Amino acid sequence: MGSKIMTKSPVPQNPMPAERLLELDDVHVHFPLREGLVKAVNGVSYHVDKGEVLGIVGESGSGKSITARAIMRLLPKRAAPPTGSIRFRPRTGEDFELSGLDRNSRAIRQVRGRHIGMIFQEPMTALSPVHTIGTQIMRTVQLHMGLGKVAARARAIDLLAKVQMPRPAQMVDAYPHQLSGGMRQRAMIALAISCDPSLLIADEPTTALDVTTEAQILELLKSLQSELGMAIIFITHNFGVVADIADRVSVMYLGRIVETASVDDIFYAPKHPYTQALLRSIPRLGVDQGRRLPTIPGMVPDPFSVPEGCAFNPRCGHAVAGLCEVRVPPEKRFGAQMSRCHIADQFVQEPANV
Amino acid sequence: MSDLPATSLSLPDDVLFSVRGLKKYFPIHEGWLKKHVGDVKAIDDVSLDIRKGETLGLVGESGSGKSTVARLMLRAYSLTDGQILFRRANGEIVDLSGLTDRQMRPLRAEMQMIFQDPYSSLNPRMTLLELVGEPMLIHGKGNDGEIRDRVAELLKVVGLRPEFINRYPHAFSGGQRQRIGIARALALNPSFIAADEAVSALDVSVAAQNINLLQDLQEQFGLTYLFITHDLGMVEHISDRVGVMYLGRLMEVAPTEALFSKPLHPYTEALMAAVPQPDPRGNRARKRVPLKGEIANAANPPSGCSFHPRCPYAQPKCSAEVPALRTVDGGRQVRCHFAEELSLVGAIA
Repeated sequence: MGSKIMTKSPVPQNPMPAERLLELDDVHVHFPLREGLVKAVNGVSYHVDKGEVLGIVGESGSGKSITARAIMRLLPKRAAPPTGSIRFRPRTGEDFELSGLDRNSRAIRQVRGRHIGMIFQEPMTALSPVHTIGTQIMRTVQLHMGLGKVAARARAIDLLAKVQMPRPAQMVDAYPHQLSGGMRQRAMIALAISCDPSLLIADEPTTALDVTTEAQILELLKSLQSELGMAIIFITHNFGVVADIADRVSVMYLGRIVETASVDDIFYAPKHPYTQALLRSIPRLGVDQGRRLPTIPGMVPDPFSVPEGCAFNPRCGHAVAGLCEVRVPPEKRFGAQMSRCHIADQFVQEPANV
Repeated sequence: MSDLPATSLSLPDDVLFSVRGLKKYFPIHEGWLKKHVGDVKAIDDVSLDIRKGETLGLVGESGSGKSTVARLMLRAYSLTDGQILFRRANGEIVDLSGLTDRQMRPLRAEMQMIFQDPYSSLNPRMTLLELVGEPMLIHGKGNDGEIRDRVAELLKVVGLRPEFINRYPHAFSGGQRQRIGIARALALNPSFIAADEAVSALDVSVAAQNINLLQDLQEQFGLTYLFITHDLGMVEHISDRVGVMYLGRLMEVAPTEALFSKPLHPYTEALMAAVPQPDPRGNRARKRVPLKGEIANAANPPSGCSFHPRCPYAQPKCSAEVPALRTVDGGRQVRCHFAEELSLVGAIA
């Protein structure tokens, strides 16, 4: 490598593999606040391959949503300019260096809605209350796909049918407030997939729904995903949901990914004490009814005083004095599994039974 | 007590709360003259016993009336019809259904509620001393010094530091605020607490801590809980018995293990099948047929069994006749015409 210090955003070091859709490398999002610097996202690297579902789990404040917003370049204005590289190559084959794009640039506006769709927990944050859902979908496809009015309306009705909205030809003229929560969620999904995106970012899309509606929406997302071949980043704090929908899972804690693995390895052979502890603290049907739930001692530290070394060390039952509170653990790899824990090797032989 | 109507009511010895034929209709008025055109039958004929020291879980989709039942029991709403019998700490049995607010007041000390949203259920302008001490002030229990001591003790009981007594709720996390709510509910030594989605808004690890706290407090103070939630894993963990509600009616009541291993009502089966388990292999092995459609409109409920339009086992009889809540095998109750004939799959083996 040359001796020059890179001052611009780092240029990608190596080309992305062909199956790669999105790659985040050492992404930082910091918030300089009066009370101190909050490192909401503190060196996150992950990738999404074409057509796969990556689940991101973590408790509130772990940085899972902020990372997604960094991809979309929709960070709150208080955030310092994010660093690190975010590369994206949609189905159409162009390469986008999202990390270099301004939040209002022409390029990012082509990516948002066109190549990356996003759905949220509360549909009313994505839908306009003063336009019919049909109008909102039509505007999007007219803009990005260059369809005429008649064709756009036909596509809107098609999309509503695709998300299993009853009576799509009538519902296309409905306003969001006329729909139930589950139906609004479907309308928002129709809007997000309207331009056939390569990636859908789903930020807690089922958290506010009843279990029966949640099951419907999860089934819908799974069938759309296989039908349209899009990849999904599914952000949630619900381990049941992630077990149901994800191919791979990343677990976040205080702005870092502490573990990434296939969904089976996360649930049956976790190699980070935080993942293990979280899994133990969920009540499961048919297991140990009435017993005390094992909990994680203490609470998530406030973002201004993140512990030195491994951020989880004060709450960790395996913490090694003189090591875990001193040095930030490196990414340790075990095949396709990654754990940011100094003693992750220890869990290879004795899969923590959870 | 003297201003309560004299009663000769009776309850089985182990029952603390008994609700009989409870109904709550909200009238619908339409037009310029506000003509009464119909009712939203929020609660339609619910009967339920809660035993001393037990935790009764109440599950169901939003709009099924779980919270309304709790609010009626505590007389936060007036009821349309029915009886609510409550056994007081002194052994006296009272029917809460016809009591005025003034008559209810002394009884409220014995029954309390904790809420889902720890952000909106605490007044941000009050310190913990004021928040937790308020019930004692209202009920005239103790002078300033006594109240302060009791609040400090209560904070310790719920796992908060007594030094926090002069702080405001904004200084606390969601889980801690929930504990403040619990401390306030405990202030008057109630025998009954209704917990309405008390841990639903919390993160996994915090929810686990607070559930353990609720169980410890139950043991320590002999509390009886009505635990309302939509989280079936949580309800299985904490409840002794579970009631399943749909569109204002109780569909099934059974001991927890029996309910989860062998549901008798198709709605219970559907609800259990809908919950994704933290077990990827199990999820793949289990065929999940999501329940179709949405909960019906309570202003215009379906004829017969209110679940029949969504029920995979529905027969012609189901749309014609309203099934009664009947007692079947081993004291379980179910509201389905075909409970004995169906062989339904539970969530646990």
